[in-house]
Amino acid sequence: MNVNSALKHSIAVLDNIEGYLCKFFLSFFVILLFFQVIMRTVFQNSLAWSEEASRFAFVWFAFLGASYAARLGAHNRVTFQFKLFPKIVGDVSQLIADGIWLVFNAIMTVKSIEVIRDMMEYPFYSPALDIPMQYIYMLFPFTFILMSIRIIQVNILKHILKRDIVDVDDISSDIEDIKRDMKIAPDNNGMNNSGPENERGSK
Amino acid sequence: MISSVLFGAFSILLVIGAPIAVALGMAAMAAFMSIDKDVTTLVQIAYNAVNSFPVMALPAFILSGALMQGSGISRRLVAVAEVLAGRMAGGLGASTVLACLFFGAISGSGPATTAAVGMLMIPAMARKGYDRGYASAVTASSGGLGIVIPPSIPMVIYGVTASESITQLFIAGVFPGLLIASGIIILNYVISKKKGYKPNEGEWSVKNTLLTIKDGFWALMAPVVILGGIYSGFFTPTEAAIVSIFYTLFVGIFIYKELKLPAIFKSLDSTTWLSGRVLIILFTAQAFGRLLVQYKIPDAIAAGLLDLTGNVYIIWALVIIFLIMVGMFMETLATIMLVTPVLLPVMTSLGVDPIHFGVVLVMCCEIGFETPPLGENLFIASGIGKVSIEEISLKAIPFSIVEISAVFLVAYIPGFCLWLPKVLGY
Repeated sequence: MNVNSALKHSIAVLDNIEGYLCKFFLSFFVILLFFQVIMRTVFQNSLAWSEEASRFAFVWFAFLGASYAARLGAHNRVTFQFKLFPKIVGDVSQLIADGIWLVFNAIMTVKSIEVIRDMMEYPFYSPALDIPMQYIYMLFPFTFILMSIRIIQVNILKHILKRDIVDVDDISSDIEDIKRDMKIAPDNNGMNNSGPENERGSK
Repeated sequence: MISSVLFGAFSILLVIGAPIAVALGMAAMAAFMSIDKDVTTLVQIAYNAVNSFPVMALPAFILSGALMQGSGISRRLVAVAEVLAGRMAGGLGASTVLACLFFGAISGSGPATTAAVGMLMIPAMARKGYDRGYASAVTASSGGLGIVIPPSIPMVIYGVTASESITQLFIAGVFPGLLIASGIIILNYVISKKKGYKPNEGEWSVKNTLLTIKDGFWALMAPVVILGGIYSGFFTPTEAAIVSIFYTLFVGIFIYKELKLPAIFKSLDSTTWLSGRVLIILFTAQAFGRLLVQYKIPDAIAAGLLDLTGNVYIIWALVIIFLIMVGMFMETLATIMLVTPVLLPVMTSLGVDPIHFGVVLVMCCEIGFETPPLGENLFIASGIGKVSIEEISLKAIPFSIVEISAVFLVAYIPGFCLWLPKVLGY
């Protein structure tokens, strides 16, 4: 029982791994840049290493974030044309499109490994921190493989397990969340159709 | 030859529903392969596209906007706008525009502006007897101000794609933004007069106004810190965005005491996927754009346009109509990254200033927010106002006409956007 829940927990963590890593990198470079601004404006001291470190964190953040967006099914597509056809047309067509996406990721993975191999042969160090650049470039094979796994995962969830993938862009589903965030009192007068005076009067 | 591979592959992939990033990236990859060029260049482009200090303004502005919602800054800004403009006919409508203007000065996103302002103003207008469709339409139309009034996320993306100064764009956007805002306010006044929407008199008093402004003081300081820092040259746009994150955290935690840990985590989360999907488009669009420039495709388009007509006003009109059409169907940031490498060289070869073109481009995208089928502001306003999208988009048409006229004014009179940067010495 305990093993089972531990397993479930670690699967949940793995399912969200880009999310955790991204939040870490994001907080890291935001704090570092703030530190750098303070150093520059208050102490008149521009730091070279902090700018470089924050950029490296940012590059990792960006591509891990793309993988995270793939897990959420959040990448922008043009889909209005599918409304003209039965649902199956859009589904099959996007399945093919995702296959092409996998090919793209595969080529990017192979090519980035080639670049890293070159860098190992002819080492190249970052100017301020002196980090061998191949370690920074490792992000490409890592994130493109991860993204491919996410694409397959989302398609399995959607087509085989028949789960609904929540549209993260559909803000209407979290309007209540935003209201709570903004601390707006629930409004019974105007909004919840219980205000007869201005509601029915106009019709 | 190479242009047919690029545009052919791109449009086929777009139509079968591939992500925009993949459509651009795969088209570039296919073009590289068709000319036997080494595809490892793509890896270098991927790294260089993102490894840049100015691009970091994008996640920073998204994060600070998300945090402002949870910190109580958004709500207070709207409250100030409400007491300031409430007393004229259709006052709440004008307050909505004013609130979007304030909000635009702290946030760089149109849908975020619509959500924050609409959440408070649409119910308020409905209570005062405004037609709910109209209330939603005003909000959806003025929500786009968020991207014209600096700071602006689309301007960051344009500045990065076109290698233009983001600071200069932020200054150039001020008057065009005010132009649109005043257009909407005047139209709202005329319509409200006709429909008999009363000013918001009952609850208004000098004391109440002063109290609201006092309570909103720290919220009103946010645009001063952000824009003042950028305009005085004290901060780069990226630094200003970072400072605004910490300003928001400070005000939200220690002064208003409303910002809690779950809201902070949620802001980090949405920033992650929003940035991730944009930044990968930034990479593939740069690969695509580089091929375009290398094979002088924009030059060919410019030559074709000049064969058609040498009149720069007609060319502007064609470009604006094209941009509004694209904006109707495609996401804003993707539109900017896609059309900039194609159209900017065309326009500069006709003698148009890149900053001028950028402002017009962003204004066209702003109209796309309130037009179906992909008007993000419409979806949000419809969700809040509980009115159908069809009804809102119909009632938003007069506002769209005002905004389109504003775009033409700014395009035909470059001074609207170029005067202020010149005066400030940029």
